Amino acid sequence: MTTNTPPVDVQVASPASPREDYLNCSKGIMSWLGTLDHKRIGIMYLIGVGLAFLSGGAFALLVRLHLWEPEGMLFSNQTYNQIFTLHGAFMVFLFVIPAIPGSLGNMVLPLMVGAKDVALPRLNLLSFYLWLTGAVLAALAIILGGFDTGWTFYAPYSLYTNQAVVTIGLAIFVLGFSSIFTGLNFIVTVHKLRAPGMTWFRLPLFVWALYATSLLQVLATPVLGITVLLVAFERLYHIGIFDPRLGGDPVLFEHFFWFYSHPAVYIMVLPAFGIISELVTVHSRKPLFGYKLIAFSSLAIAIISFLVWGHHMFTSGQSTYAMFAFSFLTFFVAIPTAIKEFSWVATVWRGSVALNSPMLYTLAFLIIFAIGGLTGVILGALNVDLHLHDTYFVVAHFHYVMMGSIALAFFAGLHHWWPKMFGKMYNETLAKIAAVTIFVGFNATFLPQFIMGSRGMPRRYATYVPEYAPYHQASTIGAMILGSGVALMVVYLVASLFTGKKAKENQWGGVTLDWKCPTPPPHLNFDDEPKVIHEVYDYSTLDYESLQRDAT
Amino acid sequence: MLAEPRPNPVATVITHLIQDPQGASKQEPPPWDGMPAPEIDEFGQLPVLSSTFDHVDGLFYFTYAVCIFFFVLITGVLLYSAVAHRRKTWDQKPLSNFTHNTPLEVIWTIVPLIIVMVMFAWGFKGALDMTTVPQAAKQNTYKASAKQWAWTFTYPDGTQSYSEVWFEVDKPVQVVIESQDVLHAFFLPSMRVKRDVVPGRFGTVWFTPTRTGDFHLFCAEYCGKSHSRMYAKVHVVDSETFAKQPWNIVPEADAPIEDRVAYGKQLWKGAGCYACHSIEGIENTGPSWKAGPAGSTEMGLFAKNEAGEIVGTERVVFEDGEEKTVTVDEDYIKESIAYPAKKIVWRGRYKNGGMPAAQLSDDKLSCLIDFMKSLAEN
Repeated sequence: MTTNTPPVDVQVASPASPREDYLNCSKGIMSWLGTLDHKRIGIMYLIGVGLAFLSGGAFALLVRLHLWEPEGMLFSNQTYNQIFTLHGAFMVFLFVIPAIPGSLGNMVLPLMVGAKDVALPRLNLLSFYLWLTGAVLAALAIILGGFDTGWTFYAPYSLYTNQAVVTIGLAIFVLGFSSIFTGLNFIVTVHKLRAPGMTWFRLPLFVWALYATSLLQVLATPVLGITVLLVAFERLYHIGIFDPRLGGDPVLFEHFFWFYSHPAVYIMVLPAFGIISELVTVHSRKPLFGYKLIAFSSLAIAIISFLVWGHHMFTSGQSTYAMFAFSFLTFFVAIPTAIKEFSWVATVWRGSVALNSPMLYTLAFLIIFAIGGLTGVILGALNVDLHLHDTYFVVAHFHYVMMGSIALAFFAGLHHWWPKMFGKMYNETLAKIAAVTIFVGFNATFLPQFIMGSRGMPRRYATYVPEYAPYHQASTIGAMILGSGVALMVVYLVASLFTGKKAKENQWGGVTLDWKCPTPPPHLNFDDEPKVIHEVYDYSTLDYESLQRDAT
Repeated sequence: MLAEPRPNPVATVITHLIQDPQGASKQEPPPWDGMPAPEIDEFGQLPVLSSTFDHVDGLFYFTYAVCIFFFVLITGVLLYSAVAHRRKTWDQKPLSNFTHNTPLEVIWTIVPLIIVMVMFAWGFKGALDMTTVPQAAKQNTYKASAKQWAWTFTYPDGTQSYSEVWFEVDKPVQVVIESQDVLHAFFLPSMRVKRDVVPGRFGTVWFTPTRTGDFHLFCAEYCGKSHSRMYAKVHVVDSETFAKQPWNIVPEADAPIEDRVAYGKQLWKGAGCYACHSIEGIENTGPSWKAGPAGSTEMGLFAKNEAGEIVGTERVVFEDGEEKTVTVDEDYIKESIAYPAKKIVWRGRYKNGGMPAAQLSDDKLSCLIDFMKSLAEN
């Protein structure tokens, strides 16, 4: 693909000393730990969520290894239960929810709207330290003996179990505030700090997606906070809220939990949609198809997502009328989601499609998300869900969305903005190999789970009936491939910081403001206040000369 | 079921890191031992073995076909475009710059909307049929009682069986489900039946088994340590076999002792005693029935004296607010099964009590006691 990169012999004289940017403008560990710069906070988030992802991934590999044999290969049942719980809790609360807004969102959103920073920089730093506190508490919960409730903490089991449930509950409570503060910050930033000429419909779609996400974070997260507090009170003081023996109702817990956790699915996935919207247009060099429809579909998804929590509870014995309403509304979420997928494909159509590593991740996302979304439709059908609920079919479905779609979109965005963040390029060949490995490994892991799920394999089983063994083993092999792909990615990304070639000023040919500031950006992002005079994604304005200039 | 005292956290971590003690249940054969693998039909699915729920699979295949159609459409266009329109020179411009196409957008909004509304209506109709119990099924009502980690089944005539249940073929059946502790779920994949078992509430499921055979019953809602061991064998039999009540054949008092001990061991497993009471002298949620190795605090229930006679061991219990020493005998065991909170073993983690009560008929109890006595050692 050498033809994809501009000829290197066109050199612009580089200045004698390196330009001052946000990475080298001040030195010392305190200049990072106490920074108010959204870009540095974004990098700290990136390190944090990256480590959380790797530890969650290590737990996942242990789970898959254990399930190689029907009677379990590594652990006692109790330890297995703790490991899968740790996998779920780490991935959901420490990685998937904060990952994209915290790292890439922090890094890119102020650049995209043409601001010097987020509106509330101190709150931004507090939000990161709350995340860190939550992560420390979660690690503490492991030291205190672990927890084995599953990431859903269903009562009354979570009220009885002899485990560090209160500690992890506290971690989730603190992480919730981190999430709320990030959301609040982004809402204010988008409202107040847009550059002159940056109208709402000139905002890049990543900003729209983060805006919709932020609304959800601010409105839904408090419910989770209250729920874990109630669980803690019930464990500590035996107040009868969820325990039927004290007059409580365990189904009430499920309602509270999913009233947050369903919108949380969209807190996780909307930023991923935003990244993909950006990447398909930049790497196809073509305006996004149906810009306004995609922007509004983000808001539509955000609103409808508050009304469908009951579809996690079709087998819980809620009333038939509740099932009627929840199933009906669930199918409505499918429509705006389908519109997005179709629009992305239409954007690629007849574009100038660069098959570089961010785009490979994007294509992988589009294929995997098609499967993840469509299997969601299967689960939305009431009577089919009664059979598939709590089986590996559901496990495969939400991994297609959470891992295959959200994590891959995160990887895509990471590769896309990496040269902007660090001014360095990673090894593109290795990046392509890793992208293909991750795609193959992911599908090998989770396609067999659809099959065994539809044949009745229940989830969260430490041991299983032997007829599912071939599918579990295929899945374990897939997980190893997936794991090696991720390991390769970590290696070349970290190596690029030391040995990477200088990135181009506008590495991919983007026309949004994040590609119009210097690379890497200076402390205050723009040398002069940007003025927006063109519509968003207008590639007729693309400055081809900038594609040849090295980062300053 | 009350919270147990927390073990020393450092010790817990170290045990986890160095060695992972395999639970006693791990060394036992799995509860599904001897069950045949269910057959798989020509679509790669479990065949539907209950008459009423064919439409689960009907709708499943319909949505499946729709999904495959859209998946092929989306990835086909995407991959064609990625290959045919790929960038060959670094400054290549796109073939076109269209930003929207209203008719196309209307079509891809309306058509999926119609399709999902069909799925919704079909699914809701099916769910109504699955949750509305017909009169014929109500006249054949079973009870399934769930506790960590075993199922107890009560038949319409009041007899009971543990972790194994028999249904009559072609006869509609209603199962009333209840939980004694935490959430469980009653999941019969071959019959397409699933319902959460919520403590404090009764739930109902119904189905008509249409073929004889042996099937899996799983717990599908996470319920703790031995969640994956919470399993029951389901036997669908013809009416002749059913009339013989195969679950109700208890060895008589004059039967060979080996048979009675073997039956008692089945009860230990099936009635869920195994979940807390080791038969290998290992400390667990409840006291072990067998004495532990030398130096262990586990005394077991019975021991052999020098003459080789089986005698009850002594233990300190807490009753009516004071500590007492009792000698284990048949009355103590019967009382402790029927009223577990009456005398609580006053030692270490067992002080919290928490054993659920169970009702066992006298003939079953006596087999269970024979099994306990068979564990006695010098």
